[in-house]
Amino acid sequence: MSTILFSLLIGTPITASVLCAVFHRRRILEVISVTSAGVTFLWATWLMSVVIEHKTISSPEGWWYADGLSAYIAVIVCGSALVVALYSVGYLRRQVRSRNVDGRQLWLYYLLLNVFLFTMMLVLISNNLGFLWIGTEATTLATALLVAFYERESSIEAAWKYVIICSVGIALALFGIILTYFSALHVVPAAGNALNWSSLMVVAKELDPAVLKLAFIFILVGFGTKAGLAPMHTWKPDAYSEAPAPISALMAAGLVNVALYSLMRFYILVNAALGDGYASTLFLVFGLVSMGMAVPFILLQRSFKRLLAYSSVEHVGIIVFALGIGSPLAYFGAMLHLLVNAIAKVLLFLTASNVRLAYKSKIMRKVSGAITVIPVSATFLIVGVFALTGWPPFGAFVSEFTIVSAGFASGHAVPSILFIGFVVSIFVGFIYYISKMVLGTPAARVTGGDADTASLLLLGVLLAALLLLGVYIPPPLQQCIQNAAAVLMG
Amino acid sequence: MSPTHIQSIGLLIDICAAAILVTAFLIVSSRNLGFYIRLFALQSIFLGLVALLVVIGYGEMHILIAAVLTIVVKAVAIPIVLTKMIDRIQVQKEVGFSINITVSLLLCGGMVIVADSVAQSILAVQEGGGSAVSRVLSVSIALMLIGLFIMTTRKKALTQIIGLLTMENGVFLSGLSITYGMPLIVEVGIFFDILIAVLILGVFVFRINKTFESINIDALRSLRH
Repeated sequence: MSTILFSLLIGTPITASVLCAVFHRRRILEVISVTSAGVTFLWATWLMSVVIEHKTISSPEGWWYADGLSAYIAVIVCGSALVVALYSVGYLRRQVRSRNVDGRQLWLYYLLLNVFLFTMMLVLISNNLGFLWIGTEATTLATALLVAFYERESSIEAAWKYVIICSVGIALALFGIILTYFSALHVVPAAGNALNWSSLMVVAKELDPAVLKLAFIFILVGFGTKAGLAPMHTWKPDAYSEAPAPISALMAAGLVNVALYSLMRFYILVNAALGDGYASTLFLVFGLVSMGMAVPFILLQRSFKRLLAYSSVEHVGIIVFALGIGSPLAYFGAMLHLLVNAIAKVLLFLTASNVRLAYKSKIMRKVSGAITVIPVSATFLIVGVFALTGWPPFGAFVSEFTIVSAGFASGHAVPSILFIGFVVSIFVGFIYYISKMVLGTPAARVTGGDADTASLLLLGVLLAALLLLGVYIPPPLQQCIQNAAAVLMG
Repeated sequence: MSPTHIQSIGLLIDICAAAILVTAFLIVSSRNLGFYIRLFALQSIFLGLVALLVVIGYGEMHILIAAVLTIVVKAVAIPIVLTKMIDRIQVQKEVGFSINITVSLLLCGGMVIVADSVAQSILAVQEGGGSAVSRVLSVSIALMLIGLFIMTTRKKALTQIIGLLTMENGVFLSGLSITYGMPLIVEVGIFFDILIAVLILGVFVFRINKTFESINIDALRSLRH
């Protein structure tokens, strides 16, 4: 059964990609992409129910593996992909109508969207760390042409930077993986299995600590680059602001979590092998640096898509920081934050795209009085920002509060105070800019209207979910989060 | 295989590794884009030879395919793609520097020393100092550092691609030296990714050329903050 489930998880988006490559009609491309994302989401929930029952599943030959952590992130990624695929339909129709996008671009968009989903699933169910690497590099390649989608000077520049920086990062990660392989070669009985995460975990205590420590540095820098951890985050604001909004949303809610997932896998391994605070300290430092680095760029920002990109740098920092604390409570907070941040990011990137389509600008100064021009999107924008920046009664408040309490409880008082300081400054920056966009008198010549009703309904559902998670975490979800946190405990 | 054979194969591997390092230095001291590509192809041929020698000397058959792929993909296919690219866009072939050649070479010499000390500390875990192949680890780390150096100090888009590929060569060589390469299917996947990456970067070079009228990455300046 495990083989069937794993084949379905990666087979569905592959089949969809092949079908997209063959068909060029707009309607067919739309149906394929939405169906593929929806069906993959179903398989991910199936995977979740299987790991709740059996803890872990792996395929007989040992290449594929899943546990509470991979299933949890797979559900988040596929859920984001489904929302993004649904939103893309209305978004691209509108772009085609206003002649920003031609038929060939439309085809390329849907094709690469499916390839992108496939590469993310590949990472999430790989047991072999080599496959994990191949999948991660493939996510960069799948999204590169999407970042350059609008073929402006600035988008090509962003895509160039994105591919070069991420490829360098990922090459360093490969060296880290080779070092991990080296540290295991003498202890894992069959050499072919020495790259399998599950076999590495069994012999974790016998891996050479010195080599593993060095390996982890390269892994952290490499996958940290993909996740957008400061100071390796420099591609992120450019790529997020140049890519089409639904793609930015999927990068912020899906790709970031996939890169974090790879980091977590190695984090668990290194913790099990060394049994000391080596990896935790590195995570605490990089987490705080990412949060701190985001503050000035959020306070002095012109473009709202870049604002969201720096917020993504901050949230990666929050999650890595929480992982660094390393208590069960902190892991719970980190996993909850992963989910609420993904929902908030999708909501805000898509809402920002509504604003951009209405005002034909992503410069915040040029947007004002959105509440009278596009009342629904403007409401989503302001409420979404409260949700994103961790304000009660939204989910991010609960997760950030949990993380800070865990920080104080485990004796990390100074880092936790810094954490609060950064979160509050970023909140202030966001509210300052967003309230100026939403309130005030609208500029005279705002031509575009709001997005279609279906897209707005979709965003409404996301907002409702954020509100719900702030006041009540349903028991099944609680169990999923606890399972994921249990995997992190090792 | 007799010990003398093993010894002579070890010697040949050392010679190839030295040749790889020399090509990296020649790239650093080169002013012409055409040389960059040809030197990279030469470097990849020597890399393929190291892989072949590992197959012959240590009987690691699964590397044979990786060796053939190195030569076909990195020494033939990628250089052809890159040469076609610079011919088509008729770029000015002179490379701009932000650090001059003499200083660059001195810095790269320093990197070799750093790389060697890192390599020794990694190999310290192996009893008996390791095989002839593990000696090559210092060259592989030096290659990664020099690749990174080329990317950061040379100003053409194409030199960034060559820098990245040099880095990748370094990573491949490191795998070859300490673990006799990754499992075959992983190696094949990695080659596939690299080839796609070069093609995508090639597409961007065309577009950069079209929109900026040069492939000097100094022109990539519009995105700030």
